[in-house]
Amino acid sequence: MRSFRVQVNGNSYTVSVDQVRKGKFHATIDGATFEIEAVSELEIGAWLVNGQEETIQAHAKSLPVGRVDVWIMSMPFQTSVQVVGIGGYALTPEPQRVVSSGKISALMPGRVTSILVKEGESVAEGSPLLILEAMKMQNEIASPLSGRVKSVLVQEGASVKKDTMLIIIE
Amino acid sequence: MSYALQGSTAILHYDGLTLFSNLLTVTAENFLLKMKLLIANRGEIALRIIRTCRKLGIRTVLVYSEPDEGSLPLRFADERYPLAGSTPAETYLNIPKLINAAMETSCDTVHPGYGFLSEDERFVRTCEENDLVFIGPSSAALEKLGNKLQARRTMKESGVPVIPGSDRPLKDEDEAVRMANDIGYPVILKAVYGGGGRGMRVANSPEEARNFFRITRLESHSAFGREEVYIEKRLQNPRHVEIQAIADKRGKVVSLGERECSIQRRHQKLLEEAPSVALDGELREQLNDAAKKGLSVAGYTNAGTVEFLLEKSGEFYFLEVNKRLQVEHLVTELTTGLDIVEEQLKVASTMNLDLSQSEVHVKGWAINCRINAEDPRQNFAPSPGKVFIYHPPSGPGIRIDSALFSGCDIPECYDSLIAKLSVHGTNRSDAIRRMKVALDELEILGIPTTVLLHRDLMRDEGFIRGDFDTTYLNKVLPTLKSSINEFEKIAAVVAAVEKAKTSSIHPKCMRGPSSRWRTVARTHLMTGK
Repeated sequence: MRSFRVQVNGNSYTVSVDQVRKGKFHATIDGATFEIEAVSELEIGAWLVNGQEETIQAHAKSLPVGRVDVWIMSMPFQTSVQVVGIGGYALTPEPQRVVSSGKISALMPGRVTSILVKEGESVAEGSPLLILEAMKMQNEIASPLSGRVKSVLVQEGASVKKDTMLIIIE
Repeated sequence: MSYALQGSTAILHYDGLTLFSNLLTVTAENFLLKMKLLIANRGEIALRIIRTCRKLGIRTVLVYSEPDEGSLPLRFADERYPLAGSTPAETYLNIPKLINAAMETSCDTVHPGYGFLSEDERFVRTCEENDLVFIGPSSAALEKLGNKLQARRTMKESGVPVIPGSDRPLKDEDEAVRMANDIGYPVILKAVYGGGGRGMRVANSPEEARNFFRITRLESHSAFGREEVYIEKRLQNPRHVEIQAIADKRGKVVSLGERECSIQRRHQKLLEEAPSVALDGELREQLNDAAKKGLSVAGYTNAGTVEFLLEKSGEFYFLEVNKRLQVEHLVTELTTGLDIVEEQLKVASTMNLDLSQSEVHVKGWAINCRINAEDPRQNFAPSPGKVFIYHPPSGPGIRIDSALFSGCDIPECYDSLIAKLSVHGTNRSDAIRRMKVALDELEILGIPTTVLLHRDLMRDEGFIRGDFDTTYLNKVLPTLKSSINEFEKIAAVVAAVEKAKTSSIHPKCMRGPSSRWRTVARTHLMTGK
């Protein structure tokens, strides 16, 4: 199961998606589960959405930088989609912090399951730094900027509280 | 009347008399075959007219503006004639250019479609002066029904009930208030030369009557170039029911039955059906008789529609005559099995109407949904743009009149109507079920349209019961909003699934299905063949 944060018309939704088999998914939003099946994989893909009451035709087209154009019964919706978690729980991330300083702290309490960088190593923006397990979900913490790892302040296996300083990038 | 041909002798059956004539050897078909028709319109209605012409073997010339250069009807006209410019004033409203186009292409007949110059007296007169047959009423008949007030007077004289109000333009604000007080509020101030649902304001008090008289006069002046305003009582929650008729020069008028057009927004029809749930045998007869009488007194010719407002009590009042082929004519075609454009062409070419009232049978139920390029989320703001996928629905009892195609552009300078989706069923609930299916199948990707609104209406209990009037749509619009919110959630779900599909966890492991070609190629590579 994977979780996504979807922005539509200024509203934000958390959707968890489970692949049942190739081209077939279960997706849950606000407690309601939909069965979704791909019926055409052209440039604009066609989908069938089986809700509680009726089947609805949808189209979708992936665009760069997480944008997805969707049509529900031909009504257009512009969305932007972000992956927020892989695991059993949907994770609603807090509003993104401006981390210009490169000081990476824990967004949530959890356990550091693996550290993926060493001190002195160069990292690119968006490259993974460590995995923080919270609520049984592996959350990849990525570098907010390109730079060099100045110091790693935690060890693998450590339990950390929210806001604990983890890594400093400079 | 009917006729038969035996050699060069026509046998004419007319009102029980059988006449033999050697002179009457020209049949409607003969007339039609030599006809060459200029279509002074665009979009779906141009295509609609072309279809009938092709069936009858009539050659067509279609004029077009610059934005319409790649439009669908141009692919099916026999000839095309460019009108320089893009604004309606430069093109489809330009009388000299259109007359010139007809002359240069040797057309003898002009079909104006609806909108644009379809009810323009000057255009009709100019056609007549240039020996062009105008498909519609004569200029003399148009004059009798020329503006709203004139039509009101003509109808009143022929004994058709009219809404209490003034029979001539109001002189000034004081008269407006005085008349409003006499009639009783609410009243409606109307531009004498208004049309298309514009130039009307409802006043609920003497202050508003005074104020709105001034505003309506100003609006009318800027929109229609005339400032005359009159006043009528505003009926409470009436239905809009209209009679489609066709008439000839001898005063013969045949009714093709009624249409129910109460589903409106800002006086603009959005959905029409035939017949109407509001009429029973006797009331239906009264409306038909009133419409036929009114048109006959006016000396009306060709296809026309008499609109009525109908109160719950069964009282009905004349509203307006639409002196043209109407947008919603197709529901009447579905219930009667007639081709109204064909009837128009025949009656215009032979001067006589072959069709008799006893030949008109209304069968089943038809509904038409107007699909407009309007965004129901943005208060129905126009939504021009590119349609990159268009899939029209089909199947038994489904008809769609549209000039859409995948990749077409919806220009911003014209009407927002882009498709008319009609269905025909054995009865009303059958038609509604059929419309649900058709709406679900219709795909118009690229621009927001009113499809969702119709989808909601087909599921609305009041609509299904047939319990609605002209104020109904405004009441159910909030329901539409909630359905859009529901769809927004589904959009979020689809977006997430699309993302899940395209951003697989191990994208590099995802290969296309294995193929024999690939396996053989790999074996060859490895074995060095």
